[in-house]
Amino acid sequence: METLKRKAPEVPAARANSPTKAPRDDDAPAAPAASEPVACVHDVSYPEGYDASTSSRIVAGGGEGVAPAKTFPFKLDPFQSEAIRCLDNGESVMVSAHTSAGKTVVALYVIAMSLRNQQRVIYTSPIKALSNQKYREFKEEFSDVGLMTGDVTIEPNASCLVMTTEIWRSMQYKGSEVMREVAWVIFDEVHYMRDRERGVVWEESIVMAPKNSRFVFLSATVPNAKEFADWVAKVHKQPCHIVYTDYRPTPLQHYVFPSGGDGLYLVVDENGKFREDSFQKSLNVLAPASGGDKKRENGKRQKGISAGKPGEESDIFKMVKMIIQRQYDPVILFSFSKRECEFLAMQMAKMDLNEDDEKVNIETIFWSAMDLLSDDDKKLPQVSNMLPLLKRGIGVHHSGLLPILKEVIEILFQEGLIKCLFATETFSIGLNMPAKTVVFTNVRKFDGDRFRWLSSGEYIQMSGRAGRRGIDDRGICILMVDDKMEPSTAKMMLKGGADSLNSAFHLSYNMLLNQMRCEDGDPEKLLRHSFYQFQADRALPDLEKRVRELEIERNSMVIDEEESLKDYYDLLEQYKTLKKDVRDIVLSPKYVLPFLQSGRLVRVQFSTDEQPTFSIDENVTWGIIINFEKVKTQAEDRKPEDCDYAVDILTRCSVNKDISGKKTMKIIPLKDRGEPVVISLPLSQIDGLSSVRMYIPKDLLPVEARENTLRKVEEVISRFAKDGIPLLDPEEDMEVKSSSYRKATRRIEALESLFEKHDVRNSPHIQQRLKIFHAKKEISAKIKSIKKTMRASTALAFKDELKARKRVLRRLGYITSEDVVEVKGKVACEISSADELTLTELMFSGALKDATVEQMVALLSCFVWQEKLQDAPKPRDELDLLFYQLQETARRVANLQLECKIQIDVETFVNSFRPDVMEAVYSWARGSKFHQIMEMTQVFEGSLIRAIRRLEEVLQQLILASKSIGETELEAKLEEAVSKIKRDIVFAASLYL
Amino acid sequence: MRDLHLPLNQTQRVRLEAALHELQSLAPAAASAASVTVADNIPVNQEDNILKGHGTSDHDGEVVATLCGVVERVNKLVYVRTLRARYKPEVGDIIVGRVIEIAPKRWRLEINFSQDAVLMLSSMNLPDGIQRRRTAVDELNMRSIFEENDVVCAEVRGFQHDGSLHLQARSQKYGKLQRGQLLTVPAYLVKRRKQHFHHLEQYDVDLILGCNGFVWVGQHVLVRENTESKEDKQKLSDEVDTFTPIETRKHICRLANAVRVLSALGFTLTIELIIQTAEASLSSNVEINDMLGAEFYVQTAEREARRRADLLRKKNGAR
Repeated sequence: METLKRKAPEVPAARANSPTKAPRDDDAPAAPAASEPVACVHDVSYPEGYDASTSSRIVAGGGEGVAPAKTFPFKLDPFQSEAIRCLDNGESVMVSAHTSAGKTVVALYVIAMSLRNQQRVIYTSPIKALSNQKYREFKEEFSDVGLMTGDVTIEPNASCLVMTTEIWRSMQYKGSEVMREVAWVIFDEVHYMRDRERGVVWEESIVMAPKNSRFVFLSATVPNAKEFADWVAKVHKQPCHIVYTDYRPTPLQHYVFPSGGDGLYLVVDENGKFREDSFQKSLNVLAPASGGDKKRENGKRQKGISAGKPGEESDIFKMVKMIIQRQYDPVILFSFSKRECEFLAMQMAKMDLNEDDEKVNIETIFWSAMDLLSDDDKKLPQVSNMLPLLKRGIGVHHSGLLPILKEVIEILFQEGLIKCLFATETFSIGLNMPAKTVVFTNVRKFDGDRFRWLSSGEYIQMSGRAGRRGIDDRGICILMVDDKMEPSTAKMMLKGGADSLNSAFHLSYNMLLNQMRCEDGDPEKLLRHSFYQFQADRALPDLEKRVRELEIERNSMVIDEEESLKDYYDLLEQYKTLKKDVRDIVLSPKYVLPFLQSGRLVRVQFSTDEQPTFSIDENVTWGIIINFEKVKTQAEDRKPEDCDYAVDILTRCSVNKDISGKKTMKIIPLKDRGEPVVISLPLSQIDGLSSVRMYIPKDLLPVEARENTLRKVEEVISRFAKDGIPLLDPEEDMEVKSSSYRKATRRIEALESLFEKHDVRNSPHIQQRLKIFHAKKEISAKIKSIKKTMRASTALAFKDELKARKRVLRRLGYITSEDVVEVKGKVACEISSADELTLTELMFSGALKDATVEQMVALLSCFVWQEKLQDAPKPRDELDLLFYQLQETARRVANLQLECKIQIDVETFVNSFRPDVMEAVYSWARGSKFHQIMEMTQVFEGSLIRAIRRLEEVLQQLILASKSIGETELEAKLEEAVSKIKRDIVFAASLYL
Repeated sequence: MRDLHLPLNQTQRVRLEAALHELQSLAPAAASAASVTVADNIPVNQEDNILKGHGTSDHDGEVVATLCGVVERVNKLVYVRTLRARYKPEVGDIIVGRVIEIAPKRWRLEINFSQDAVLMLSSMNLPDGIQRRRTAVDELNMRSIFEENDVVCAEVRGFQHDGSLHLQARSQKYGKLQRGQLLTVPAYLVKRRKQHFHHLEQYDVDLILGCNGFVWVGQHVLVRENTESKEDKQKLSDEVDTFTPIETRKHICRLANAVRVLSALGFTLTIELIIQTAEASLSSNVEINDMLGAEFYVQTAEREARRRADLLRKKNGAR
């Protein structure tokens, strides 16, 4: 891949670093003055063998000397004019900039240019709501605009089509005429490509896009924009420009608000400088709280910002009050769960941020929007509860809201009538809806299977909402930090760079079938062209180099008597694993639980910095049990024996605070210098239990109490110094009766005698030599694993999975042995909004035919509902029976996949179909009012509406499917189902349309 | 095979009958058992919720065939696969058709279906390869793309809401077919395969087996992805192109005759069988025009009978 670098003339020489290296904090111009030239980096990727000199041909028909397709009333930023210059040359461009930087200008220019040249242009965005908003925005600017989402289709023949990426993909599979007319495709928020579930849609769409069209990619700042552009250049054999800027029109100031404290600490100023001293100061405010609360927190999950002690104002209240006082409003407060969002808003009950005339305004806007709803729906609790809150200038915005409420709130916020908005992450993408201040009330996020810290990329995206261009001279960003947050994590988040754009490619049956159905479609071709493959290929040279280096390193290590040393080493390894086995048996919760009383002395392993030692001796020290508790896991219904336990042990630790203030605790021998600390250890780190128990004082909070206790422990140890502290005998005391235990102990004895006899044992420097040997072994293992990844990436990525998936399709009779799509395959082709295999199997088993229309709708709701509800009532028998049928089908499909060597967990797969909203959907299909079905379930209104809308999508796909097999009765039934659910508030039109 | 009238002599007649008899005996028996004619009852277990697919209808609680053919069952789906009916298009089929009419923004094509197929102007790539909306000028120039009686290759896009069948040309390899022969065979002789476009390099010939029973044998054309080649270059190469070498013409005729023979004998047309037949005619020095003579028919039938018997034996041997 050749690259030709052309720098934007505005780029000062000093800033000419490539986009990959431009860290976030050096971008913001030193002076906030808008007149100062702003840096942007321009780079071009040419496809291999591309002759740059012939690139002057102009596909778009524009070009030098032709008037610009659109002029803007304001002066363009350098990155905008740079991007537009590429567009005028008719070449693809990727624009990577912050949300608020003004990427829309580029999109507008492309649309204007295409309309002028009588070409079609497609704008795709990841979210329906965003598509709606953009449609409205473009429609005002250019009249020839249409919209296509799963819900609505408006003017599909317009020249500019706004759609979701999914629709664009299915249009490409079906071969719409748009494909032949579209000159420009705009992919907005293309960094969505890293989304685990939906990211693959972007890759498919980009790979399959018409060969002669050009692209505009709008993305948040990504460090590897160049890599992405290289990929596009390679796949489409056309040059692709990159315009990258870190520029923010309004610079940001980042503050930290320590929980329990009452002030803000400026940690990153508007020039992007990190202020170490003030950061430390803010942590010091936290420090006193951390010691006392330490014990309370152990094992506890994050519960958000607690309401604070009674009688005292909560942090969040204090925060909002302060923001209002300092006139930092409007403010967006981000949190990461819908419930938390509402909970926080409720704490604002006492606040009133609006004047009387504003209240009148809000009420008029609110009710004129709500007029779309029927009288019954107007009485919904969510609607009626929202107004008083809104009138006080406080809003809530999350996906659980009724879509119409969400839109009203967006509109009110844009009008400046909402001063304080509690929002979830979804608010951070899309339309320009900035505030002066952004607050992060929480820094942990649940990402599907666990809680994790916010990545710096997400932080950048969300903080991009701070600062209104032309109104504020700087944006303010406040991070609420509590003691659960490691200072280093906070620092990483504040100072870290943007997330890079990595492929989240994966295969699906629907994709394979659609590819196989067209004559020149070939799933392998798609795989070869995927960004995933591109990234894997690119990593290859690096890996090769690494292997070579490691091999040289390994060969340079020379050890005498390697053979016998190896023998000895293997023996040691064996000995260690056996020891571990024994310990695992003895310390399994089944045996050990009754002995974990407080006060018992335990032997614990301590961590050392150095490599593992190579003798029979082990690094152990003593501690005293304080308490133990179950580690909570997802599955609560496990038996006590199977759970994981954590034991709180008082022992001596060295507590290190590194520069960033991150605390690391290491267990050290009792004699060493260190602090007495209670730490929570997993059972696996305990080495043995003694039969000695001691009295421990009730209050261990003061350091002296802990110190005293430890001193007593030392005393006990010295008393038993002669023959060691008596341990609990596994067989006699703990009643461990297991044949494997006995076997293992016998083998340990045998091994110990072997050690005695071994001739290397007494040779000099045995320890060092073993250490070297160990290092050598590790290098070999590393080489092996790298070679494995290399093999995996030289071969076509996903090749094995592709084979396995084809096998599944053949076994189920979807395709023939020659990869020709059969009847069932044609049905599965149509289904893209639900699990295609299970639904097709269910359809062919006649289950849909059997059920009534309402039952069928309820059954299909299991395919679209993904949230797992606690204690959801079981659906009535007739529905439960159908659900059972579904589960059986799913299990059969999953088992078959497993047989075909696809990695799948059968039970997880079966349980991914949720019956929780069956009842609600059933009665919705029977004509119930929305407030009636809301009483039946505990779900958010917005979630249910989304599910029903998606259900309608599935029904439409099934209609197409039954048409293709000629089953007219089922088709009529499905049509009826659509007409039954498509009504009222659930399908109320968007306010943006 | 009903319409097969050959001037056979006595020996040839006996040989042909023997070959056909053997072929019949080799055919799987199960296929004939499930065959139905119109108004036949299709036995189903009424307890099950069967799905009634194409060619079936509900009549007083009984499932009745509305077409002649073979009953096929996929799980609970029951449908009738027709044998000698007209072509029935399915999404994604590759077809060859003949333009019969030019209408506003569309061509109508005869494709051996019960209605004419529609190829929209917007479903065609423009000759200049530029992605843009179609203008009135394009519409006026439609005849420069396809005229009446042109042979066109396209893909079935699907049925529109008004019930009309739409075609599309996904890439440059679809479009007008020139310098070759169009053969019409019964649609059931062409089975859906992964590939319907075949480029026979040894003959420099393109063979397109349209799912609708239209088979195209023609001179190979290079698919040009980059259509922006210079205008004058285009003209020059046009002149060269118009001349199809006599060798290629002979190959086209030979392959076309092979298709004719095979379809007349009622053999399913696969690319392998067509090539084999053509090769056989070459190796036994049969002149192109003699391929349609009685002797070659008999030979082809005998060869096919032998091949199938071998295949069956191998299959049984493997068991």
